[in-house]
Amino acid sequence: MSVVTVVPVLVSAVLGLAASRLVRVLPPATAVRMLTAASLTAALSTGFVLGIVALVAAAQAPFVASLGRWSAQRFAGGGTTSALVGLACGLAMLTLLAAGVRRALRCAADLVAAEAACRRLGPGTHGLVVVEDSHPDAYALPGLAGRVVVSTAMLRALAADERRVLLAHEQAHLRHHHHVYIQLAELAAAANPILRPVATAVRVGTERWADEDAAAQTGDRPLVARTLARASLAKHQSPRSRPEALRAALPSVESAVVTRTRALLAPAPRPRRILAGATAALMLCALGAAAVSAHDTEHRFEVAQKMFHHSRSAPARVAEGS
Amino acid sequence: MTVTPARGRGELEREVLAAVAAAAGPVSANDVLSQLGGGLAYTTVMTTLARLESKGVLSRRLSGRAYVYALAGDPSELESSLAAHRMRRALESRPDRASVLARFVADLSPEDEQVLLSLLDRGQSSRRGGSGEGE
Repeated sequence: MSVVTVVPVLVSAVLGLAASRLVRVLPPATAVRMLTAASLTAALSTGFVLGIVALVAAAQAPFVASLGRWSAQRFAGGGTTSALVGLACGLAMLTLLAAGVRRALRCAADLVAAEAACRRLGPGTHGLVVVEDSHPDAYALPGLAGRVVVSTAMLRALAADERRVLLAHEQAHLRHHHHVYIQLAELAAAANPILRPVATAVRVGTERWADEDAAAQTGDRPLVARTLARASLAKHQSPRSRPEALRAALPSVESAVVTRTRALLAPAPRPRRILAGATAALMLCALGAAAVSAHDTEHRFEVAQKMFHHSRSAPARVAEGS
Repeated sequence: MTVTPARGRGELEREVLAAVAAAAGPVSANDVLSQLGGGLAYTTVMTTLARLESKGVLSRRLSGRAYVYALAGDPSELESSLAAHRMRRALESRPDRASVLARFVADLSPEDEQVLLSLLDRGQSSRRGGSGEGE
């Protein structure tokens, strides 16, 4: 097969390598949107191209060719693909497709469960549900309207202006539908495991986005940093925190809270056209590769079909078919 | 202190509710006002508290000449607390990286704790001399 077929895989690899850096450098809202779109494009075009390679390999089998009424020899003339490569690509595509479908189903189930949970929680006060609990906790629960759930212990751990930051942050998750980006990036990562780091970066990026939103709303970046630090320390010092579980999951990696706090103590990220443009270009590369290989393959089928009919009308040349 | 931008009605109700929920005991409109500050009018806080009370989110009783407010803790509230608890357990039962919950902060490792403490320290010393926060 041509070089074009490896482009989507290369694009995925580059995205995987660059994702965490892009989230750090670009304004988080831009980074999350671009990375989500790019990872979906990369995942789709990878699957598509794998499918085409498998198809092309299958089309060269004389049996398949006779069924489809095209010339296997003429088809192979455009560059042979070994049956083994074709089989491997086909299997890979089917496995990834299955993983993607499984992930999509689970995502749908999770969102239904979250919506049901929202209903059970009741409307709250403009979406805010305060829960009597001695463990400091706060989270946004996605749904048609969504809810912000905060425990009394978390509220007590914070000063009034810090509580405002917390509410602004969680509200930002709901307002910007952050769960949609997270789930789409997870879907892409399921369908193309090379994109796993992108999904992680998107998740961190949505937290950064909500932090920056809260900072814009309160006009005080150090205040948001302080709130993050105070809230996570309060949670950490609660007897119900589970640092062991965390260490098992993320050995020796600085947790996202520390990264977020540092980012807030630094100046707000500037928009960077070149970097954003490069990400968009990567996305276009993957799309272009898929389009080119689709076009090439279509062309080969056309030629092979013409050849088939031609050989039929001139029976003397029916040398193929064995 | 910077002038805080105006709040929407929903935002204000959420903040007032959070302030009442955070207090150790029942609070008056004045207590809430002194906490929230930011150019709010006393009557605004009063109205918001009254609205939250009429929705059944807060309960109030007379203390001297003013009302004091607390979380209602009514059965529906209790129910939603239980629902929240069950839901969190259900959603956390599998260690899923793709959980739908967007947590404000995650658990920390001991090293992170040290880093955060030092960051907090640095932030505090640089902001000393600002308006005193009730802590």
